[in-house]
Amino acid sequence: MATYTRKNAWNQNGTFSNSDLLWYAKGVRAMQARALNDQASWWFFAAIHNEYLSGQTTFPGWAYISAPPAVPTSPLPSQSIRDKFWNQCQHQSWYFEPWHRGYLIAIEAQIRAIVIGLGGPNDWSLPYWNYFGPGNQYKIPPAFTQLTLPDGSPNPLFVKARYGPRNNGDIYIPLPPVSQDCQRNTIYTGSNAVTPNPGYGGPSTGFSNAGSVSGNLENNPHNMVHTYIGGSITSTDYGLMSDPGTAALDPIFYLHHCNIDRMWASWNAAGNANPTSTNWLKGPAATGGRKFVMPMPSSRAGWVYTPNDMKSLSQLNYVYDNLSTGITKQLVGSLAQRLTKLGVNLIQTQPQPDENMDMGGNSEMVGANEGALTLKNSGARTAVRFQKEAWAKVPKSLMNASVTKVPDHVYLQLENVKGKMDSNVLAVSVNHKLAGHVSLFGLRKASSNDGHHGGAGLTFILDITNLVDELHLNNALDADSLDVTISPDNDIPNDEEITVGRVSLHRQPQS
Amino acid sequence: MTAAERSRRSVSLLIFVLSATCWGLLLVKPAAVKHCFVTGGELSRTSLEILLLTNPISPMLAGWGLMVLAMMLPKLIIPIQYTCERSFKNRRFRAASLFVLGYMGVWMVVGALMIGGILGLTLFMPGSYTPAIVVGIIAAIWQFSPVKQQCLNRGHNHKALAAFGRAADYDSVLFGFEHAVWCVGSNWVLMLFPVLLPGGNNFVMLAVTLLMLSEHMEAPRTPRWRINLSSKLIRILFAQTSIRLARS
Ligand SMILES: [Cu+2]
Repeated sequence: MATYTRKNAWNQNGTFSNSDLLWYAKGVRAMQARALNDQASWWFFAAIHNEYLSGQTTFPGWAYISAPPAVPTSPLPSQSIRDKFWNQCQHQSWYFEPWHRGYLIAIEAQIRAIVIGLGGPNDWSLPYWNYFGPGNQYKIPPAFTQLTLPDGSPNPLFVKARYGPRNNGDIYIPLPPVSQDCQRNTIYTGSNAVTPNPGYGGPSTGFSNAGSVSGNLENNPHNMVHTYIGGSITSTDYGLMSDPGTAALDPIFYLHHCNIDRMWASWNAAGNANPTSTNWLKGPAATGGRKFVMPMPSSRAGWVYTPNDMKSLSQLNYVYDNLSTGITKQLVGSLAQRLTKLGVNLIQTQPQPDENMDMGGNSEMVGANEGALTLKNSGARTAVRFQKEAWAKVPKSLMNASVTKVPDHVYLQLENVKGKMDSNVLAVSVNHKLAGHVSLFGLRKASSNDGHHGGAGLTFILDITNLVDELHLNNALDADSLDVTISPDNDIPNDEEITVGRVSLHRQPQS
Repeated sequence: MTAAERSRRSVSLLIFVLSATCWGLLLVKPAAVKHCFVTGGELSRTSLEILLLTNPISPMLAGWGLMVLAMMLPKLIIPIQYTCERSFKNRRFRAASLFVLGYMGVWMVVGALMIGGILGLTLFMPGSYTPAIVVGIIAAIWQFSPVKQQCLNRGHNHKALAAFGRAADYDSVLFGFEHAVWCVGSNWVLMLFPVLLPGGNNFVMLAVTLLMLSEHMEAPRTPRWRINLSSKLIRILFAQTSIRLARS
């Protein structure tokens, strides 16, 4: 069996001189020429991820998307086909990585079949866009912004509703806030000195409702890149990539996910392990959920796969031409930084025996604000008040921290965040220091009463251990509260609002 | 297993034990608790009047309450875990109790209406099958309706809870109340069965409990007419058994 090599989309400067991109464009065109109810069509594949086809009377309903691409809304496949294939995407879950890996393999197989039919290479593979690469690579490969292919025909990689971080059609990834810091994590699900909750790969979902939290890879870069590529103009016209229900209509989607998949492969290659629990290996079907299933050129019934089948790329005969992310593992993580800051001379310690172990103890809420917040353009500000006895353990743990005793993780949680416009990023500050950014990718679906969590919205966890530690060292910690500000990156239109149900503070001891 | 999963597991265990205790009580049937099964056929008009005079409502309601607890507690595991995780440690027990209180409050009112209604019908239309047939038709329609699916979907919603003081207590009760409203919306039909069928039909109670649990564990779906019963619980049992068999 052939081995497929996925290469950098920025080869040959990301233009159509890169044959991977030219063949991709031809494949996309052929798939777009097929009908919505054709299991091998571009539209059917986008709906496998997620769709807005039924019951939508406004944007982002697929009928209201401005072309190109001209998105069809009929003929719909039968209800049983829709129930089997559509709306499968796994988000806010430890199944995020393996589900999307199979999804990429499936669309790649469809496009490869077209490429071969057109006389192209029989080992064509999907290129990745590594926005963390050197030089101009933080920009979208130019092939995606041309109006025409070299032969003068319309370029199917060009999409109108792709507005970028400044909402002006200039598509690039701002670094920071987008980062690959998650590559320093060493646990897929759980926490330790270098891995904040809920872990690199995401929270275990299945029996438990883990509360709509994204894993660290999913949160940043994945979600952030989605919203920055998408951008927005108005509440009735925002970028396809900003919302999971339209994202896979944009051909850049698959190059972004190819890079996320490469990061996962790179993380594994660095010695980090995937879950070994059967409930992960067998996928949601282990807890009575849906099977992962994709149409394949060779099989109309579909290819059924599990995370166990996806856990290693080599068993799938895939390689990336380059797995480096330029991130080096920090063995002692934040504690080392802290002790260095304090002037303690660190002798580089041996790798810790617990490096790949979940050390996180039971989390405990230690503070919260009062009342829900409504975000407008000016953002919102709130006091997160400590619960005295609970909070007292935090400064104590920071004070007693040493090389052998890892301090508590401190997390700021934005709970039940709801709204209808995914195309935004919130900057969160604590006592006027930046605590982090969160992308609202998936907000609309999560806020819908018939959505996955019955309208509970999204919840975000920000690791603020270092920030709190610094405040503590500088004696700048207020005795009874933290001052939290949340500011949106993009304008929130007058007819829209984003609400935050509660802002809370948690400590998690590390054993 | 992460620490969070371990603590969730201990909450589930505690709730299962509580539910099992209620089941035990229902089977033993102490004097203060009268089962709430209402059977029109067995009661003549006069005997019913005598029964009402001797005030059977409160032991019947106690029986109803016990039955709801036994049947519903397993469905409350996830919202109770959620309430605990989002409360200060020293308030967790209180918050969870208030949640159950708000939840039970709604079901007690529904129980009183249901029992009262059935008793009343028996009183004024003795021996008639008409009410049973009408209720049966409404029930069957409701069971497969988009409205029921909407209620099931909203049962997955977990609201933001205030953390401090009376606002926190209020939110816990309100969360229980709202959760119960959607729960009544999805399950009132099924709860009629153990009430209407002849006394002591524990098998029916068990079957209804398992079906409700199964429906509740199903992921939210687009509301529409669906003529089918949830098979989620069977799917879980099947998958988990095959995993365990493969392991051994
Ligand atoms: Cu994505």
